[in-house]
Amino acid sequence: MRNLVLLPEALVVAGAAFILLAARFAWLSPAARRRLPAAAAVVALVAFALELWVGATLATYFGGALVQDRFALFAKAAALLAAALAIAAADWGAEDSTSLGVAMPLLAAFGVMVIASAADLLTLWAGLELAAAAGVTLVAVRRPDLGLRLLVAGGVASGLLLLGLAFLYATTGNADLAAIRAVMIGTTPTLSLAIPVLLLMSALAMRATLAPFQLAGLSAGLGASPLGAGLVLGLVAAAAATVAIKLAATLVPVPQVVSPYLEVLAAIAMVGGGLAAIAARSPRVRMAYLAAGQVGWVAAGLVTHFRSGLAASLFLLGAFAVAATCGPAVLGRAEGGEATIAGLGAVRPLRAAGLAFALLSLAGAPPLAGFFGELAVAAALAQSGHFVLLALGVLGSVLSLVAVAGTLRLMYIQSPLEEARRGALAALPAVTVLSSLGVAGFCLVVAAYGFLGSPILGLANQGAEALGLR
Amino acid sequence: MILLQHIALASPSPTPASVPGANIFTSPLLMSLTIWLPVAVSLFVAAMPNPRGRYDQLMKQIAFFTNLGLVFVLFVAYNQFQAFLPTMQYEEKVPWLQAIGVTYHLGVDGPGMVMLMLSGLVGIASVLASLGIRERVRSYVCLLLLVQASVNGAIVARDMFVLILFWSATAVPLALLILGWGGPRRGSATWRLLGYWGLGTAALVVGTMALYAATGGSSFDMDVLLKASLTPRIQLAVGLVMIVAGATRLPLFPLHGWVRDVLSEAPPGVAVVVAGATTRLGAFLLLRTLIGALPAAAHLLSPLLAALAALTVIYAGLAAIRTVDVRHAGAYLAMIPGGVTVLGLAALSPLGIAGSVLSLFAGGVAAALVVGACATLAERAQSRSLLVLGGLAPRMPSLSWLLIIASLAVLGVPILATFPAELMTFFGAFKNQPIGAFAVAVGLALAAVAFALLLRRVLFGAPNPDAPGVSDASLGESWYLGLLAGALIWVGVFPGGPKIPGTDTPVFDPGLVNVMAAGISDMASPYVGPTPPAGQ
Repeated sequence: MRNLVLLPEALVVAGAAFILLAARFAWLSPAARRRLPAAAAVVALVAFALELWVGATLATYFGGALVQDRFALFAKAAALLAAALAIAAADWGAEDSTSLGVAMPLLAAFGVMVIASAADLLTLWAGLELAAAAGVTLVAVRRPDLGLRLLVAGGVASGLLLLGLAFLYATTGNADLAAIRAVMIGTTPTLSLAIPVLLLMSALAMRATLAPFQLAGLSAGLGASPLGAGLVLGLVAAAAATVAIKLAATLVPVPQVVSPYLEVLAAIAMVGGGLAAIAARSPRVRMAYLAAGQVGWVAAGLVTHFRSGLAASLFLLGAFAVAATCGPAVLGRAEGGEATIAGLGAVRPLRAAGLAFALLSLAGAPPLAGFFGELAVAAALAQSGHFVLLALGVLGSVLSLVAVAGTLRLMYIQSPLEEARRGALAALPAVTVLSSLGVAGFCLVVAAYGFLGSPILGLANQGAEALGLR
Repeated sequence: MILLQHIALASPSPTPASVPGANIFTSPLLMSLTIWLPVAVSLFVAAMPNPRGRYDQLMKQIAFFTNLGLVFVLFVAYNQFQAFLPTMQYEEKVPWLQAIGVTYHLGVDGPGMVMLMLSGLVGIASVLASLGIRERVRSYVCLLLLVQASVNGAIVARDMFVLILFWSATAVPLALLILGWGGPRRGSATWRLLGYWGLGTAALVVGTMALYAATGGSSFDMDVLLKASLTPRIQLAVGLVMIVAGATRLPLFPLHGWVRDVLSEAPPGVAVVVAGATTRLGAFLLLRTLIGALPAAAHLLSPLLAALAALTVIYAGLAAIRTVDVRHAGAYLAMIPGGVTVLGLAALSPLGIAGSVLSLFAGGVAAALVVGACATLAERAQSRSLLVLGGLAPRMPSLSWLLIIASLAVLGVPILATFPAELMTFFGAFKNQPIGAFAVAVGLALAAVAFALLLRRVLFGAPNPDAPGVSDASLGESWYLGLLAGALIWVGVFPGGPKIPGTDTPVFDPGLVNVMAAGISDMASPYVGPTPPAGQ
């Protein structure tokens, strides 16, 4: 069984590499190319099933650089499920390149898997860069200018991250996460610890499109193809949040260093995300801000420094990864603003339901995945006495809900655009068997996440425990 | 008076009289059925093929028979209810999110049973009131059923997490119903609803989390959270946020900003369900969390509650006098029963609390009736303006009678259910909150003036020759308003249920006041005054 643990990673990387090579050397017939999304979704689903089957095995690889524990199991499963559903649910008529569109989500998921298993600072960094590179590639296919912007912003984030990691290494004398944690126990907070923490948080906030560092990521995501937007807003942000959870667990012994910055970031993201979502006039922009707000909730869970808080963040991160990655893919081409989704409930009922589920989950509306995740974080915040942050978070969720009501009204209550007035930007998403299955699967996951919450939250709890938290 | 003494003592009876037909049907999933049946039917309707609206009528019929079936099930539960048993009944408890102490815990006591009956009754009335809906019937029916499911869920929840889930779940379908089928100012009404209810939900979440933290963070179960002994300081903080949560929903002055627009812009079926059932959840929450669980906070905050009740009733009366819109008048007058309910809670006496619980039902039905009657009248008269409407009584006799009954119900006149409710409330309140009770009585007098002005202008004034044509209520409208009026009269005449002459054996109905007494004694026990020593 131990030898099978890395099989999901191998499957995903092999699948992505094969697709890229096949596209480069034109190995596939047009008919086979049309089936690529279905094949990639199956690969990701098989990897997901394998992860659930063999992922419970505890093991270390490559001299301790990679660790398979419950945390890894949870994060990998969430990333694989998000990638599979996004590939399946996407409107492939709205994507610019099928091969890149299929391969990049797989590579981004692989990046998250590397982070999930990372046992040292370098592997964490490598996994995050891999996920981010996949996002940049997919953005650049449609909008090279935005791709470049994302690359530059990502470069700054990467630089800050490296600098922070270097400071951390210099302060503790270790690159290994467990060793750093051991050194931290009994350490008093100092400026030499505060500097790397500040740098790391700024870098991760940029990667996770967390306010006030969201500008580059958000605008890049908005100009990208639907799947590209899903990658930047979902999987890349989830990758950054996974890094943040691992680093937060490492720095738990010195909460005074982490908490103040994290609290401010979380509060700005939760309230600012909700406010910006209300002001937004395009469904994708609104979704992007809702996602930013939910990342704020994930960050709020890290403020607690308890196992239950980090477990709640992880539980919410699973919900976030699925909703934020699949949401833009389900939305399809809607660059034309609000009018493009008017009456979507009548003309594309399943897709409208998927979009409604994605938005409501990101807003934390009951009884969907985001609601349960946010309430789990809220419970952890209450336990740790962060009532102000809790109140701000709930306020942010209320604002988000108000924003979502506007979009739901457009989809279900307004009349659809006349066919003659629909341009390319407002074209209705194509209905295929794969996309219908993908959207239905997505709705099922988002709806069932809370009702099957006991095993999922239990696994998240074990994941937090695996990070050394009690 | 015997009835009042009976309620005031609220003492367990060792041999409650059994109702013929009781215990013929038992189900361990009765409470789940009240929640998930509407959800399942809603999903079924959502998936039904409906080419060119061919099955619109069928969808309405499905909604109606679902509600009817639900009321039948509830009536069976009501009949089988073990009156005077202080514990929860029909309990279901399944571990859910064990890591944070969440259980799928449902159950019902006397007040809960009263609320469930109210929800069932209002559910049927709302479907009947919605028979005139012609556009996007499928979506309307689905959303209406989801509202009903969430209201039932909030009533039977015995876990605060589950309560938050259903409490907040009512807002989204209601907002969409108003946005989709509301009047010209529906946008403003929806945002106000979401804003105020969002604030209330936020307060409920914060209050719940404070309780959760204060009790060790191991469980959200009400048996743990609401039975823990907390310091007065924590009780006061939690009590205050719970008042905010309840006041936004009920609504109480000054957190009533949504009520006028929502109740006047929503279609009649939605307005009925909002005024009748969803708003009562606010008072139910106060009963459960503040009065039933935080006695120290209740003692400290009862003057505030009484003041809010008085301000609400006085404000509603004055606003109803000033307005020139019949639906606005209905919306304001529908706030009055909520104020009376809260006055009973502020009384902190067994009689006052019992009055509040009866007022939950009677006030809910009265509020639904007054809002429904005003909405239907405005639709049938093709105008909402009191400057236009006049002399309608001869031309819409049925609606006129129903509006008069609604007025009398809000004012609490004898033979209507609101009479014993208000009587018990005032008897309970005059001792502990005399100023508040007097102020509420003044507010009721203002409401009487408002009703008199409304009825004189609309029904008995001189007909306006320039007014648009009018017609009397349709069959569906007469039925839904008649159903609500009938319930008020039935409970008003038989609060303890009809008996076989010469015996104490109840016939068909065990009596609302008997059923509601189960659990009240437990809730009211901290507020019973010390028994005088024997011999004095």
